[in-house]
Amino acid sequence: MLLDIQNISKRYGSNTYGLKDYTIPIEKGILGLLGPNGAGKSTLLKMIATISKPSNGTILLNKNNIIKDPNYMRKQLGYLPQDFGVYPNLNAYEFLEYIAALKGVGGSYLKQKISFLLEGLNLTEVAKKPIGNYSGGMKQRIGIAQALLNDPKILLFDEPTVGLDPEERVRFRNLISELANDCIIILSSHIVSDIDTIADKIAIMKDGQLLCHGNQNTIINTVKDKVYEMEIFKDRMPDFANNYTILNTIRKKETVRIRFVSETTSYYGALCQTTLEDAYLYTTKK
Amino acid sequence: MNNFITILKLDYLQRTRSYSFLITLCISFAVAYSFIPSPDANYSTIRIGDYLGYYNSSWIGYVSAIMTSIFLSLIGFYLVNGCIKKDGHSKIGQIIATTRISNFAYLFSKTISNFLVLFTIAVFVLLMSIVLFFLYRNNFPFELLNFLIPYSVIVTPSLFFIATLAVLFEAIFGQKTILQNILFFFLFFALITYNPVDIKGFYLDVFGTKIITTQMENTVRDIIPEKDLGQLTIGYILDNTSKHKNFIFNGVDFSLWFIVSRLGWMSLGVLFLGITSIFFHRFNIKERLQKKNKKIILETNTTNTIDISKLPKASFSFSIVPLIKTEFFLLVRTGYLWLWILNFAGMLALLFAPLSIAHQIVLPVLWFLQVARWSTLVTKERMYNTHFFTFASYQPLKRLLFSQIIAGVLFAIFLSVPLLIRYWIQLDFMNVASILLGSVFIISLAVLTGILSKRKKLFEILFFMVTYANINGIPFMDYYGGLHENFNYLITIFLTIVIALIITYSVRNFELKRV
Repeated sequence: MLLDIQNISKRYGSNTYGLKDYTIPIEKGILGLLGPNGAGKSTLLKMIATISKPSNGTILLNKNNIIKDPNYMRKQLGYLPQDFGVYPNLNAYEFLEYIAALKGVGGSYLKQKISFLLEGLNLTEVAKKPIGNYSGGMKQRIGIAQALLNDPKILLFDEPTVGLDPEERVRFRNLISELANDCIIILSSHIVSDIDTIADKIAIMKDGQLLCHGNQNTIINTVKDKVYEMEIFKDRMPDFANNYTILNTIRKKETVRIRFVSETTSYYGALCQTTLEDAYLYTTKK
Repeated sequence: MNNFITILKLDYLQRTRSYSFLITLCISFAVAYSFIPSPDANYSTIRIGDYLGYYNSSWIGYVSAIMTSIFLSLIGFYLVNGCIKKDGHSKIGQIIATTRISNFAYLFSKTISNFLVLFTIAVFVLLMSIVLFFLYRNNFPFELLNFLIPYSVIVTPSLFFIATLAVLFEAIFGQKTILQNILFFFLFFALITYNPVDIKGFYLDVFGTKIITTQMENTVRDIIPEKDLGQLTIGYILDNTSKHKNFIFNGVDFSLWFIVSRLGWMSLGVLFLGITSIFFHRFNIKERLQKKNKKIILETNTTNTIDISKLPKASFSFSIVPLIKTEFFLLVRTGYLWLWILNFAGMLALLFAPLSIAHQIVLPVLWFLQVARWSTLVTKERMYNTHFFTFASYQPLKRLLFSQIIAGVLFAIFLSVPLLIRYWIQLDFMNVASILLGSVFIISLAVLTGILSKRKKLFEILFFMVTYANINGIPFMDYYGGLHENFNYLITIFLTIVIALIITYSVRNFELKRV
């Protein structure tokens, strides 16, 4: 299974791009899309989900052009958008039945499947109550359930952990890991900790462009032996910021503890073990 | 004061910079054009028996002002109503609630903003009437005051009062949009049918048009002292211009007291606003509702996990029956319980009222009561942000759109079943076909306007205008065969439906390709 994104762009004005010349081959497993707000993550996911058309380029799923034949993708797609809504007058069961019908899923096992999903996502108790009364986390769980209705081979999760409490986040990560055995999962987030424990590969984006792509080690290696920590007086901060890429600061009474990147060996600070967050911040700030 | 003007300015800009406002202006131009029929047109808008005014500045200025005062008041309420609700939905209301702005200042700024939106449309209509004067004038001199005076004295206070009323209704009835729409519908009828008996009575005419129409009648009476001049008619009346005679209308000298009365209507609106501001919810709606309904915040246990290996396998089924079923449920569940009481009362009336009344009056009113349901038929995806699911679904155009249309039509037919049965028993299949086609027509209009404007308001306004015309027996708007019983008319309606559906399909197809 291969999702091949080739030179896609999304142009909004003569010189304004949501996405520019984006190329990435995606294979089975979990791809973590990292990038600051406005990087183009949602734009990319919408194009893969066939609800937005690229201005240029092609998207191939198993060599089928999904821009020309969106229904090929739609049949095997599970998509959890960032800002999705629900019909408040329907209950969870009815809503999932409706989405199943939209996806072209039916048959004798559908009811069983919906019940199973509702139970697994801890929504059975409220399944017959109108969704209008649900909390944000419960709506998010409904969103996850609808994405799994058609046994998708491509799963797109756009900021999926928004509204979930820490316990639910862990459960969600476990669920994704389990699903990844059999399909392509693209998980977008600007929170590194949502991604670093489960993603097989990482793509870092900024301003509509792909900055780097690879497995976690490859990306972490871009800042290996370059991350230092030290404590300086507050008044030296502006000067320091002009010379180094600062990754993190912790303010104390009179001093500031800084985590920074130095391209050359720094004699000021102590060398630290690098993390994906360091690599992400360094790549997007550079 | 500066802050107040800034809020007002930004609110006005935000509302007029929308695509729907552009559509509204285009429609206003078209409607303004129709207010003054061309000399060889086969319809009239204002007419006293067989008499029409010569197309001088006074006639065109005053006729245009009367039509604007009535029709813009009628649709203007629906056009501007919802501005507080919008602030609530966008959560800006909650930010506003935490600022120092007083309830009155907030409501007043909304009123002025409403008024400016309506006033902008009125200015466009006024400009169009001046253009029409130069097209039709027949050597009469251009007198600007004959355009400006009626618009200042008649139209401006009417629009201000309607702008106030829209805010009042929202502030008092909160989220109950359907209730607001229906109450206004009846209030408008009560106000428009008010008939003053003496000069002082004109002061109580909120739309300010009666004084002009009375003056028109008197002018004709002065020239032609016939006992029976015939009726003064306002509205789009077809085929009645062939034998008309003309008279010269020179406008109205408004007395000082009449002008004071017009200012009085504006002041009354502000006074009501002041009283209402004491009770205004200030966006504390949810908490109030929770107290009233004792709504329980749902909680669930969070111990289970999904074992993917045990998840039953999905099988494909491309039947649209489940979609139609859910769309139908969504229609049924929209709105309040009391609306269903009205619906059942309407259905009983369809069963027992004299056949002509049931068909001509009860049916269009009963259908109009469903305006909130049908207006969301294809706009709810964007309203509730579910379009990410629906647009990424399997064949959304062929399956979902089709299901929505079928569900809407089935709902319309369900409501008209008592009348259909009566016609069926009488073997009157022409009327059965008319009603069935009428139900398809109104749903086609709902989906077309919803997809074109992406909002429900355009349909609400059009449906209101059409129903108003239906109740007044204007044949041009008879989409359900209440006034026509011939095959050719059915063919016309059928072709209109086909055109509307083709446009709907094409626009949605285009929309799906470029979200």
